Amino acid sequence: MPRSRRTAAAAPLLASALLLTACGSGGGSDGGAADGKAAGSITFQTWNLRSNFKDYFEGLVGEFEKQNPDVKVKWLDQPADNYAEKLSADAGGGTLPDVVNVSPDLSYPLAKAGILLNLDREKAAAKFKDEYTPEAWQGNTLPGLDGSYAFPWYLNTGPLFYNKALFRQAGLDPEKPPKNYDELFTTADALAKRSGGRTATLAGTPSIEDFGRYGVRLMNADATKFTYNEPKGVELLTKYKELYAHGGLDSQALTNTADQSGQKFLEQKVAINPGSAHDLDTFKKNAPGLYKELGITDAPNNTGKPNMYVMGLAVNKQSKHKAAAVALAHFITDRKNQEDFAHKVAVFPSTKGSLDDPYWTKDDGTDEGRVRVASAKMLKGAVNYTPVVLSEEMKVVLKNEVAKALQGRKSPQQALDDAVAQSDKLLKQS
Amino acid sequence: MKQPSVRVRTHRAASPWLFLIPGLGVIAAFNLYPFLTTVRKAFTDARTLTPGSWVGLRNFQDMLDDDQFWVALRNSGLYVLLVVPFTVLLPLLLALLVHKRLPGVTFFRSAFYTPVVASVVVVSLIWVWMLDDRGLINGILRFFGAGPVAFLGDEWLLLFSAMALTVWKGLGYYMIIYLAALADVPRELHEAAAVDGAGALRRFVSVTVPALRSTMVLVGALSSVAAFKVFSEVYLLAGPTGGPAGQDTTLVMLVQRTGTGLSGRVGYASALSLVVFVIALLLMLLVLRADRKESAS
Amino acid sequence: MTRISGWEKALRYLLMLAVLGITVGPFLWQLSTSFKGASEDIYTYPPGFLPEHPTLGNYSGVADIIPVWDYALNSLKVALTNVVTNLVGASLAGYALARLRFRGRRLAGLAFVVALLVPLESVVIAQFTMMRDLHLNNTLTAVVLPGAVGALNVLLMRNAFANLPYEIEEAAVIDGANVWQRFLRIALPSVRGTLAVVAIFSFMGAWDDFLWPLIVLSDSDHFTLTVGLNYLHGTFQQNPRLVAAGTIVAVAPLIVLFACLQRYFFRGVGEGAVKG
Repeated sequence: MPRSRRTAAAAPLLASALLLTACGSGGGSDGGAADGKAAGSITFQTWNLRSNFKDYFEGLVGEFEKQNPDVKVKWLDQPADNYAEKLSADAGGGTLPDVVNVSPDLSYPLAKAGILLNLDREKAAAKFKDEYTPEAWQGNTLPGLDGSYAFPWYLNTGPLFYNKALFRQAGLDPEKPPKNYDELFTTADALAKRSGGRTATLAGTPSIEDFGRYGVRLMNADATKFTYNEPKGVELLTKYKELYAHGGLDSQALTNTADQSGQKFLEQKVAINPGSAHDLDTFKKNAPGLYKELGITDAPNNTGKPNMYVMGLAVNKQSKHKAAAVALAHFITDRKNQEDFAHKVAVFPSTKGSLDDPYWTKDDGTDEGRVRVASAKMLKGAVNYTPVVLSEEMKVVLKNEVAKALQGRKSPQQALDDAVAQSDKLLKQS
Repeated sequence: MKQPSVRVRTHRAASPWLFLIPGLGVIAAFNLYPFLTTVRKAFTDARTLTPGSWVGLRNFQDMLDDDQFWVALRNSGLYVLLVVPFTVLLPLLLALLVHKRLPGVTFFRSAFYTPVVASVVVVSLIWVWMLDDRGLINGILRFFGAGPVAFLGDEWLLLFSAMALTVWKGLGYYMIIYLAALADVPRELHEAAAVDGAGALRRFVSVTVPALRSTMVLVGALSSVAAFKVFSEVYLLAGPTGGPAGQDTTLVMLVQRTGTGLSGRVGYASALSLVVFVIALLLMLLVLRADRKESAS
Repeated sequence: MTRISGWEKALRYLLMLAVLGITVGPFLWQLSTSFKGASEDIYTYPPGFLPEHPTLGNYSGVADIIPVWDYALNSLKVALTNVVTNLVGASLAGYALARLRFRGRRLAGLAFVVALLVPLESVVIAQFTMMRDLHLNNTLTAVVLPGAVGALNVLLMRNAFANLPYEIEEAAVIDGANVWQRFLRIALPSVRGTLAVVAIFSFMGAWDDFLWPLIVLSDSDHFTLTVGLNYLHGTFQQNPRLVAAGTIVAVAPLIVLFACLQRYFFRGVGEGAVKG
């Protein structure tokens, strides 16, 4: 498509967005109607998918325009870093695209500020609810905001990866990875002892989802108070503290980010790392040595409900062409298109019945096939443990209080009490 | 700032402002004016997506009760004290080393400049690799029979490592400011001293330092402010949480942590920014004033 | 020029080599990773320094994923504009602050010091709103504007002009040259070194800037190189070789620019220097 035409298409939109905010931010105008015929020029923003899926999305948008001749779609894609800052600027300036790629932790503050369309309250959108799995729809439902604010898109979950060579070196059976938390802690102890402290098992300290998988209740029912300082949480942290003292955690575990933990695993410095189905490709390409020794097992959990990550497509409440925006968001996330996308990269569709397709139930003998089938099985009944109200700052609070407990500056109970108190205070301010 | 020996006459009012309009216009419109928003928000409970309402001095009171603020203030202050002497002196020595025409010296200069242009992320990867438990530096230590040092696990060693990284990255940056000053300084001064038969050290103390004084002061002021506002080096070495249990957090890291993201506490972060701004301004004026006093005497 | 003894020369080279070792390591590693073949393990520990199967494939890989030339062209436009506006704006303002006496001079000087200290992250949103009101969102003009005259550059220029001996201008004053003539013919040529620094800093500042162009540009057609290269960090997979190749592409022009401008740092350039 010639560049000039695309810019021309965006111009009236930009102007309308300006007009909108000129009328006073928030309240007032809520854009066009969501029911009725899909028409008008809309923008559609994805998050860091352009580099690998440019042709796919351009094809998809073209098909949508063919089916809806009155709609013009301009596809935007934002790079990996600082996506939240980009959304902040656009949301604050009234220039948020009509359809936006969000995860629940991003949609929560946007929805709370009244910028996103409540799909459950909008008939034109709510009618599609039954096309998605209940878990996925639930995953985009925001506490206290009375509804779901994004069409469920792709899901992610993953197994536990382990390094067979490191198991063998420590005299452990590489074919017997830990199956639950108790075994995980025993394995870690053994690895540390037998390697003379050289091989750590895990690269990071427990995150909120670790607490969740361990069976700790993270928040009260209406998500107004954190509760992870309950005895079960203290128990988990106490175990981690012993693990840290025995050399079961990497020496930089207190500061490692998820990326750095992944890197430690790639460098074969730690024996176990949780991951996602699409990591296999990374291992194969960047660390072929590790890939040969890669063991794959289910991530331990005490709740019977594995963790999952949810992506969604939200509709801008101030969109001038809501009908078109809803139609596009539904189109991208409908069963056929989600399944197509999940064939391109190892993510999982959130549409009902998709995971019963042989592609996700029949192991084809490859590693990818095995992980895909295992992950798809896990996704049934999986939940997103990370509370959507948990801000980045609250995550830092938890990480630093956990560190104080591991260092012995505070008892695990005290550390978690403090973390909960600080997070509750932050939550109340918001 | 040197006062002119008042022989260039005072100008008709209009022309100095013509000189200043482009510069003042840009900074007033895109720097100073938007900053007023920050100042105003410092007295509100604004968040990223909500304008908030006036809360008076509450953000500043909260700051006093915030343990992280005091840790951050300590770290940023230490950064200035320990980093600035090195960023003023080492680049100067480096500039003196490469400002003469010698075969191949252009290559060395460009090479010394590479840390400035290399991506911070890559640089920090390398530094992590060097400082790791099994990294290069520990390898060298082991060779001499010294035990492994957990540079990246200890809060103080992490902070010192980040300082070393800052000095290292500043080498090439401040070097070129000095090189430019050396190039602009009339060379008769040096030559006169050489004719007098002054030795290298004496030439440095009695000719180079006085001639570069105002530049050294400028570098001192700039690097004090930069050190006080340090972010990337600590963020990348010590992690976004600010080192073990947050003990390496700096003030600007705290601003970033509290103020960014869709649920950022913009009011509180603005108040922190304002504190950083005021201290940095005082720091800069202090350095510049100390210079004026000294040159007056 | 002062004579350098053989002994001193040897010492200088020795020192330069020592510093060389400290400064270029990371850069070489980046370069090496960018040449590593697809089958090479890049996470071996300690890292392998030399590529086993050197390839240029990563560079063409970068060009396959993102329109690297378009982005580089956008960056070049922004960076060159930034150089011009900064050279003009900063030298004018610096000259006025250092050499002209007028009411309000100290206040004007203070304004630049204050501007230097304004935390940019905190004003990004306000700048964005301003660009929206000016209808400049999503244009390269908006990328350039906030940095068009950097306060740091103004202070550098002021320092350079202030260091010039007054005698240089006095002769011109006596000849009846006005302030613009003195500025253009006498003062500017005497501070070439600092002009080169301002050029380098403003080019680099514009070329490396990430957050502001990301915020103000929405359409990936208009992206600058730094923003566009961020696409190399894939959502589902990482290829550090591509990232390394990308950073080399981003860094190379800066080193070339520096190499070109550094001759202005040699004393005696433009003075018709007599070799000693």
